[in-house]
Amino acid sequence: MTVKLSRRTASVAAIAGSAALILSGCSSTDNGGSSDKPITLTITTFGTMGIDVNYAAYEKENPGIKIEATNLADGGAGRDDAYAKIAAGTGLSDVVAIEEGWLSTIAAVSDAFVDLRDHGIEDTKDQWLDWKYKQGTDAEGRVFGAGLDIGPQGLCFRGDLFEAAGLPGDREGFAAAIGGEDATWESFFEFGQQYTAASGKAFYHNPSFMWNSFVNQQEEGYYKKDGVTLNIEGNEAMKAQLDLIVENANIGAGLGGWGVGEQAKNDEFAVYVCPSWMLGVVSGYYDAGTTGTGWDFADVLPGGAANWGGAFLGVSESSEHKEEAAKLALWLAAPAQQAAAFEAAGPFPSTIEGQELVADSTSAFFNDAPVGQIFTNRAKGVVAQVKGEEDSVIQDNVFGPVLDRISQGEITDGDTAWNEAITLLNQLVP
Amino acid sequence: MSTLQAGRSAPQLTFRQKLSNFDYKASPYFYISPFFIMFAVLGLFPIIYTVNVSLYDWHLLKGQGDFVGLKNFELTLNDPMFWNAFFNTFSIFLLSAVPQLIMATIIAAVLDQAIRASTFWRMTVLLPYIAAPVAVAVIFTQIFNQHGGPIAGALEALDLPEIRWGFDPFPSHLAIATMVNWRWTGYNALILLAAMQAIPRDVYESAALDGAGRVRRFRSITIPMIRPTMIFVVITSTIGGLQIFTEPTLFDPASYGGANRQFQTIVLYLYEMAFPRRDFGRAAATAWILFLIVILVGLVNYALSRMIATQDIKNVRPPKASSHRAIGGSK
Repeated sequence: MTVKLSRRTASVAAIAGSAALILSGCSSTDNGGSSDKPITLTITTFGTMGIDVNYAAYEKENPGIKIEATNLADGGAGRDDAYAKIAAGTGLSDVVAIEEGWLSTIAAVSDAFVDLRDHGIEDTKDQWLDWKYKQGTDAEGRVFGAGLDIGPQGLCFRGDLFEAAGLPGDREGFAAAIGGEDATWESFFEFGQQYTAASGKAFYHNPSFMWNSFVNQQEEGYYKKDGVTLNIEGNEAMKAQLDLIVENANIGAGLGGWGVGEQAKNDEFAVYVCPSWMLGVVSGYYDAGTTGTGWDFADVLPGGAANWGGAFLGVSESSEHKEEAAKLALWLAAPAQQAAAFEAAGPFPSTIEGQELVADSTSAFFNDAPVGQIFTNRAKGVVAQVKGEEDSVIQDNVFGPVLDRISQGEITDGDTAWNEAITLLNQLVP
Repeated sequence: MSTLQAGRSAPQLTFRQKLSNFDYKASPYFYISPFFIMFAVLGLFPIIYTVNVSLYDWHLLKGQGDFVGLKNFELTLNDPMFWNAFFNTFSIFLLSAVPQLIMATIIAAVLDQAIRASTFWRMTVLLPYIAAPVAVAVIFTQIFNQHGGPIAGALEALDLPEIRWGFDPFPSHLAIATMVNWRWTGYNALILLAAMQAIPRDVYESAALDGAGRVRRFRSITIPMIRPTMIFVVITSTIGGLQIFTEPTLFDPASYGGANRQFQTIVLYLYEMAFPRRDFGRAAATAWILFLIVILVGLVNYALSRMIATQDIKNVRPPKASSHRAIGGSK
């Protein structure tokens, strides 16, 4: 099967390549553009990755290069887009952002992406966190993705609303109130119950964020360490967490998904589980430059440290300018650019030097929270979980619907919730 | 030579004459060939290739696997999610097609009257059709937004219970059907109007002389005489309605027809199967099942619309052939 794919991909690439030769008058030598014959590099990203702030600088440093960027709404859109284009064997951007959740699927067809070792990634291997570099490497040792950000998690919260409800609303106070370093999901929800009782408002917008964070905290998530065996049926810890979520559904706002800016502005909920890349999503609900909205960021996560998500940059095998595209991808994934993206949108660098660069950074939007310091703390001891091929399907289509029904009050006991999840699991991942 | 022999051997044609003959016979085929060539490449080939895909274990990214025969069809037909999508599709289809066609016929009948600035009104009903479906879906999604949309606001102001447009099956079907109706009613009205315009006015006049009122004339003349067009409109609405995709997709772009598949249609099911779940074989099988469903429903609708219109036409004396012709000539 793999052989077939390579052959198809190769022939499509050959056709595309020769077409390009004809179109460009056989002058394409892939040596980089010049200012009178610029090379256009396409890049596809999703969500708020912040790397777009670096494009202009790269174009300025490399006069022959023009960057044409597409940003898709979220990781799901990025996934569907990438899959469709890999399947077609054509159409992928020169540089493609890959999300951790579907990384293992991409790894299985990693020959759609160039081996970055051919473009010198090994020279800078040591700059990345060890596990991040390994994640972008397939079973045969090909490096198909350059690590961009990681997703250590803290809590975004509305200090003003907590204070209005007579609860501690400053960063340290809130973190301490839910248990500090020993915070558990129980103590977190307990705090939420107090808040809802005092304010009459919902505490969180949707339980799926708590669920995903919890799963990411486990040593093994939806899959066992081998990345093949499912780890869900009979998993007591997961079952107990689902019970806990059902018990605390009354403090959720019953809001779905990501686009809840209006509700956030209307004070309809007060807390978000915030992986680094989520900071950009939250501040994105408001106009650029807005501060003093009441949002703050606390150095705490119930249940201990966890990594949620994180992206990679791959260079597609069908690219007409692999050399140039790889150069761009590696540059974007270098510490200085990771740091710039963090300053712009929050995704925390996956390189050690990048993390050092942002260690002192603060966020005006989040009440001047020392976000660099907090994420450095939150990233301590974080190791990414092994994800299986159907990981994103399980998250979105098995537990997603069940959590949605819990948040709507349609499922009111943990056993029903669990059984429905298992039924869906067996239907979707036979 | 005898006449017999002369008759047997055809007269020798010049090259020019042969060419002219060939031109006469073959040219029409060349004129129509672009469509058929395009259809073969872009229509027929994918259809046949889909059959091929549906018979294999076909992973979206890894490509063709083992031959599995009809297993993909069997799996799809045994999948509760397919049947969920099936019922959603029919629910949305009925909620859109039926009111849409009734409204379109009424609007067409009104536009068929002698009204002032008729061109203006006819163009107006087509306006929704011009709007891009994506824009329509985005606007309606806002209107139906359960949290702070105008409808939710109105319900709250009137102290009526909240309607969970995005969550409960029936309200979501209704919301999606509204988008479809908004967009397509005017389009269908114009097609029906064209058919109504072709009805000879004398038929109405003589019916009026015989004492038939407006409603009676509409029921007994207009409806039966636009029958072929009505059948066309019904069939195209059937095809469009069963293949509905854009509106439910954009109603909740983060999911494939609602987090619980409350408004997942068959095409959305197909999409989910093909892309996030990467099972191209089953997606192809679903495409073929949908194809058969559309044909089946199309046939049933054809029979139904024939029957209804025929029953009506029995009640009215058909206009005499001669008067038909006379009108045709004068108008």
